[in-house]
Amino acid sequence: MNTHLRLVPVVAEPRPQKHFCGHCGTEPEGDVFGRVCESCGLGVLLSANADVAPGPDSPFMIVDGSLCVCAVSRVAEELLGTDETAAVNRHLSEFLVPADAEAAGADNLMDLVINAASDASEARVAVVRPPDEFGIRFRVQVGACGPPRAALLVLSDGWD
Amino acid sequence: MPAGGMHIAPTLPIAVRTLKTSEAAALLNVSPNTLRAWERRFGYPQPQRSPGKHRLYTHGEVAALRDALHEGLSISSAVSRAREALSADTNVLVGALHSFELERADGAMEAALALRSVERSVEEVLLPSLRELGVRHGYDSAPWAFAARWANDWLQRAQRLAPPPTRPASVLIGDATRDDLDPDSLDVRALELFCARAGARVLPLPVRGISGLPEVLGAFAPHAVVIAGGHVPDDDVARWAYGVRSAAGPLPIALFRRGARDDRVRTTGARILADSPGDAHREVMGMIEARQSRPAVAAPTPANTEIGMEAEDAPELRRRSVGL
Repeated sequence: MNTHLRLVPVVAEPRPQKHFCGHCGTEPEGDVFGRVCESCGLGVLLSANADVAPGPDSPFMIVDGSLCVCAVSRVAEELLGTDETAAVNRHLSEFLVPADAEAAGADNLMDLVINAASDASEARVAVVRPPDEFGIRFRVQVGACGPPRAALLVLSDGWD
Repeated sequence: MPAGGMHIAPTLPIAVRTLKTSEAAALLNVSPNTLRAWERRFGYPQPQRSPGKHRLYTHGEVAALRDALHEGLSISSAVSRAREALSADTNVLVGALHSFELERADGAMEAALALRSVERSVEEVLLPSLRELGVRHGYDSAPWAFAARWANDWLQRAQRLAPPPTRPASVLIGDATRDDLDPDSLDVRALELFCARAGARVLPLPVRGISGLPEVLGAFAPHAVVIAGGHVPDDDVARWAYGVRSAAGPLPIALFRRGARDDRVRTTGARILADSPGDAHREVMGMIEARQSRPAVAAPTPANTEIGMEAEDAPELRRRSVGL
């Protein structure tokens, strides 16, 4: 056996990253120096994989590993009928609950969020609804963002 | 150290480091407009106003927000974290008084003063901490007595260090609390402190003391009267108010922490001040300024006027003023 042969981890291609404002979703122009969005002044600049990162019209939330809401985008405020200042530090389940009858369990959404906030897993998709609404469902893409590391939940009503 | 014993007062750092809008914005690496937008949306950082009405931010608040922004995922969560950092002073003060450690309690207030003005330190740290202790132990308990004595002592020390009066405003405070252990007593002391720091002369007198009142008021010449506290019965307060009116003439009168007495206010014209000493002192100073800016009219005589009321209404109102 050749002692010079050894196992090395597969080096994945770095995924393209995109910066966005945690409130208005706008991508900053040029290099990012500050922490605060220069466009709206009401959000912190974060980054995520480009295929997960929201756009200016996307409703999205940012949730930490303890399932506490950390940010609610301007569009999500309107969609969920809440205000970021009132939503911060509250549990995700006060705003969204799983609505997918096919999901493995009621905790599926929470598992996805915790995984996204704690490791670099692929973005996953789930179906959710507001806790007291039964006629409304959203598709939610759960990915990672940061810093600091957290789960990014981008809502949409598309079913492709 | 025993609760009632002599206590060496540490120096109270009255001057708080403040930043102008441009300086605060530079520290946070945002524009001044963004800082003002945060004030509107999040209520933080909450600036004071300079004599020229410019915003003055407390350095501690801005620094706490700057640190929180490094770890925050949104401005809201950073503001929440910064507020938590500032509220730690309250927890320290409650803990110190709960374990009867006076030096640590003084230290907690010094830490609070490093981040806030005296007024905000009192309103955001001292008074909430004492309220928490009162609710936790009961207002007739020994731990409350211990904490209340310390807080009274602290407020009196702060008042001794207040700058000398700088404006022609004298406030007579009719103290209607039971004693230093009355739950309202600390708010009344805070009101005295804030008025004094606003440049007014302040004279607190117990509302049960009528004798010799004309001599004292002749020397003090108050511009406004505040009846503070809810322990002394209305009849006693009305007698004292009549004595004040007889000695000092018609004066604006206000009630502070005397409970909801809307019916009585209607009959006497007394104004109910906000429960917060900070808001109340601004209202008192506003009353005095409004009165001083009013054009001079023929002065009614004490014998036919009610405190703060028009002369023609006086006889009927005087009869009803027992309900003060």
